[in-house]
Amino acid sequence: MAETFPIAFLFFAGAAGLLALPKGHARAALLLAVPVVACLFVWSLPEGNLWTVRFFNLDLEFMRVDRLSRIFALIFTIAAFLGNLYAWHVRDTVQQLAALLYAGSAIGAVFAGDLITLFFYWEGTAITSVFLIWARRTEGAYHTGVRYLIVQVGSGVLLLAGAALFYRESGSIAFDKMTLGSIGTWLIFLAFGIKCAFPLLHNWLQDAYPAATVTGTVVLSAFTTKLAVYALARGFPGTEMLIYIGAVMTLFPIFFAVIENDLRRVLAYSLNNQLGFMVVGIGIGTELSLNGTAAHAFAHILYKALLFMSVGAVLFRTGTAKGSELGGLYKTMPLTMIFCVIGAASISAFPLFSGFISKSLILSAASHDGYYIVWAILLFASAGVFHHSGIKIPYFAFFAHDSGLRPKEAPLHMLLAMGLTAFLCVAIGVFPGPLYALLPFDVDYVPYTTTHVVTQLQLLFFSALAFTVLMRTGIYPPELKSVNLDTDWTYRRLMPVLIGSVSGVLSKVWAAQSNFTQTRIRAVIARLYHSHGPEGRMAQSWPTGSMVIWIAVLLGFTLIVNFLS
Amino acid sequence: MATETTHHVAMTLSDHLPVLAILVPFVAAPLCVLLGSRSLTWPITFLASAASFVTSFLLLLSVIDGGFISYHIGGWAPPLGIEYRVDAANAFVLFLVTGISTIVLPYARESVKSEIPERHHTLFYACFLLCLTGLLGVAVTGDAFNVFVFLEISSLSTYVLIAQGSYRDRRALTAAYDYLIMGTIGATFFVIGLGMLYMATGTLNMADLADRIADQGANRTVRAAFAFIVVGIGLKVAIYPLHLWLPNAYTYAPSAVTAFLAATATKVAVYVLMRFLFSVFQPSFLFEVNTLEFMIIPFAILAMFAASFIAIFQTDLKRLLAYSSIAQIGYMLLGIGLLNESGVAAAVAHLFNHGITKAVLFMGVGALVLRSGGSFFDRIEGMGKLMPWTSAAIVIGGLSLIGVPGTAGFLSKWLLVQGALEKGWWPIAILVVLSSLLAVIYVWRIVEAMYLRSPASDIEAKEAPLSMLVPIWIMAIACIYFGFATDITLTASHTAAQGLLAGPVGLH
Amino acid sequence: MSIDQNDKPEDLPTLGRALLWLDTKKNVDRIVYGLYIVCAILFTADFLYHKHVYLGVEEFPGFYALYGFFMCAALVISAKIMRLFLKRPEDYYAPYDVESEKYPEDQLERKTHDG
Repeated sequence: MAETFPIAFLFFAGAAGLLALPKGHARAALLLAVPVVACLFVWSLPEGNLWTVRFFNLDLEFMRVDRLSRIFALIFTIAAFLGNLYAWHVRDTVQQLAALLYAGSAIGAVFAGDLITLFFYWEGTAITSVFLIWARRTEGAYHTGVRYLIVQVGSGVLLLAGAALFYRESGSIAFDKMTLGSIGTWLIFLAFGIKCAFPLLHNWLQDAYPAATVTGTVVLSAFTTKLAVYALARGFPGTEMLIYIGAVMTLFPIFFAVIENDLRRVLAYSLNNQLGFMVVGIGIGTELSLNGTAAHAFAHILYKALLFMSVGAVLFRTGTAKGSELGGLYKTMPLTMIFCVIGAASISAFPLFSGFISKSLILSAASHDGYYIVWAILLFASAGVFHHSGIKIPYFAFFAHDSGLRPKEAPLHMLLAMGLTAFLCVAIGVFPGPLYALLPFDVDYVPYTTTHVVTQLQLLFFSALAFTVLMRTGIYPPELKSVNLDTDWTYRRLMPVLIGSVSGVLSKVWAAQSNFTQTRIRAVIARLYHSHGPEGRMAQSWPTGSMVIWIAVLLGFTLIVNFLS
Repeated sequence: MATETTHHVAMTLSDHLPVLAILVPFVAAPLCVLLGSRSLTWPITFLASAASFVTSFLLLLSVIDGGFISYHIGGWAPPLGIEYRVDAANAFVLFLVTGISTIVLPYARESVKSEIPERHHTLFYACFLLCLTGLLGVAVTGDAFNVFVFLEISSLSTYVLIAQGSYRDRRALTAAYDYLIMGTIGATFFVIGLGMLYMATGTLNMADLADRIADQGANRTVRAAFAFIVVGIGLKVAIYPLHLWLPNAYTYAPSAVTAFLAATATKVAVYVLMRFLFSVFQPSFLFEVNTLEFMIIPFAILAMFAASFIAIFQTDLKRLLAYSSIAQIGYMLLGIGLLNESGVAAAVAHLFNHGITKAVLFMGVGALVLRSGGSFFDRIEGMGKLMPWTSAAIVIGGLSLIGVPGTAGFLSKWLLVQGALEKGWWPIAILVVLSSLLAVIYVWRIVEAMYLRSPASDIEAKEAPLSMLVPIWIMAIACIYFGFATDITLTASHTAAQGLLAGPVGLH
Repeated sequence: MSIDQNDKPEDLPTLGRALLWLDTKKNVDRIVYGLYIVCAILFTADFLYHKHVYLGVEEFPGFYALYGFFMCAALVISAKIMRLFLKRPEDYYAPYDVESEKYPEDQLERKTHDG
């Protein structure tokens, strides 16, 4: 291809073109066409910095293509296609625009070769994606969206501040491997960390994703966090701290996932947990582990989208995604159930499914490099994720106690989207070769060894056994209509209360003070009016004589000044 | 003033440009009266003004890069003969004055028809031309006594022009009378000052005066002369508190006259003040510095605030604008008082920018008066809907008056703040910004009245005639154009400031 | 898994009809027994082949099986304990949260199977 251009612009042009088309199938078709074209372009891009804009004395790199950015861009275009196919029925222009712009921003960010460009696309993903939440058009969704936006934009602001400091320290805005140490790099790290949902910075994810629309959540799940994973892999590979951050990340969400009622929030927790695996991979920083991170991100986007799609289809047909109100749907939504199970098997890393061939890269890297505790935690998290995502999601949605709901099977385009995604999950699991070929480094790894298959099956089946035993003995916690406190309680409950009481006092002081000031100001204005108003002394027409007096006074004054100096 | 004399080298028409600018309107005025034809008066007036405008423009082009033209009237060399000298500063003023008059005249046609009985039109335009001649003469001449002569020509015709407002409001007569008394006193002071200078130096040519004053230094006669001249011109400038003639004169004069005078008369006076302060007297004289610091600057700041406050409370739009003019003159005087290049450049730039701004506003008000029958706020309420084009132009003028970026007014205020900061007088810079806030208030009052109120029930105004709208909008667009194309004003005002601040040297 | 008497097999999609097999308690029990057997086989498989491992602890027979079983049990039990502290009513954050809201009906396409 002789002429290249930023792939993101394709999406922006598509968004502009969207507005020109009538609502209906034409738009939906355009939404499908854009990612397909983008995908073909990405596939054929040569490596290198392909599109540079000189801005003042800075070189803005819009198209830094290498193996790392290409694989992320590729999966992003695929995810955009699948998400838009799943959303074929949506006629809401806001959501359609947001989906395109959001995907475009994410791809633009992946190809950004400098921190400034990255910042613009980084904020772009924040601002466009919030509309997928607001599109639900309820009060709760609005407030959730605002919280989401504050966090996301805040992350962008930190990134910009960090980039500015980094530029001052190093004189470069290039977005390459950095080492933590200066304030600038720490700020950038923190910005990435927020978007990547590091422990204690994670709440926006579980808060926002279940609040988006049926189709919006599918789109949301693909881009933001994986963009952060890409940014970390690009900027901070081999940062040891990331190993421990990632390990904690894999661990704590699974506890919350077990007791969470909203199945889409369960998926959000498990998403967080999967991110942990990728972060560990980045932290280890070897070729094997970075390959693992890229592969896992690729596989994860697909099976996570598949899970969100199937739960979304249930929500679409029944109006709820809560475990406590669902159950027994397998009779009337059997295809959706099967796709859900395939997604569950993939995330649980069953052999022959995509999670198996990607997650094992990271686990192997951990044990190779001697991070035993981390390895044990990851193993536990693997079992845990099977427990809540692999078993709990399909079980409570489609089996469990019969809710009496008999919804119709999901519409055809959703089934198509899920079927395609499920096909990819299985295909990657069975033939890992093509995916391995795309990874940033050359792969010398065989996932299917007897040991690996058997141990993995042992782990999974005994986890299932534990679930069965606990279920049958009634120890397993039932799904209850409830919310569970997470650290977001601090800013959603504690802070408002604190601020409320402090501001109560402050506002009283302020009211008293402003009352006083207002009285003063009113008095001053009255006085001014008295003197300067149309009838006031300053503004009235003076007799000619008085003007002459002024002339004399001024002349006298000038003479005095002149003679004295 | 024969062009065929052999004493000097001016042989082509273009060499006579300085005198042509004055001569054309000066000859056209009696021509109007002699012809006595009402239908010919206006075209003659307009052509004369336009010819002067073209002349001024050519002059400005030839001196904008810092040179000057010395023209010897009748071929008599100075200091004996009268010298016209054009440099960037007064070419700029000439350009402004002729430009405004050329644009105001088409506008004046309708406005004058409605405000002045037809039998007086010939004399009115003759006076207008005389006034124009006077203002141009003041600007162009290099002879101190000649300044006085032209000042009197313009003043006397101005009194008549203001008095023409009496057909609309009888108070115009008292306003003209007041101005007559005050103006005469001012002129007298000025000529007394000139007399003292002549006594001390024996010359009236400005360049010559400057040399001799520089030679003999500051003596008591020179100091006294200085005081008389500053106060005398200060009266024409309307230095606060010598402004008392201005509000009534502007309020009751015919709209076209107000627009013309507000945009030009005080500006020319400011120019004369600068010429005397910087060129004739030495800016390095201690008494001059002290006068500027202890008299001009404090009164300038006082004007900026007091006049703005008065403007805020006015109920008559024309009067409001008159007071705002006094405040704006404060900015120019402040710029002069700063005595550095940015400050003086600010004064020159503001002279120009405020000229075009006030021309828009007063012309706009004139159009409102024509359609609604008065300039009180209760008559202009709701005009935003009835006369959208006029109102929009007034808003643009208002924005420029505030000094919103992107309008002409911004540039000069910016220069002024810069000048104050260069001098380290940051409190003054803050005061400039604060007083601009007052302008926001009174401009908002205008906007509020025009757009947020509904019109009085008896008003059935329609949009102003095209002959008025076009001049108004030319000025409004100029306000915006000079807000963006700042380099024209900047170059001219900086060149002018450098020439002025060079002191007597600038005259050679 | 209760048997809904109202479900008429002929109303269900073909696949759903086939899955009705799961509707009987006996068949579910069969699956559970099947799981037990698979687990037992997997456990014994550990003794039948040579493990390629990096860590000593992995060589322990049935390590993965036991680790999976006990860790999961521990996970569920500790989560259950956490729930004692963390559980709040559904409208705890209302109205600033979607949890207690109905999903807007106009964005759904509710259809019952036989409707």
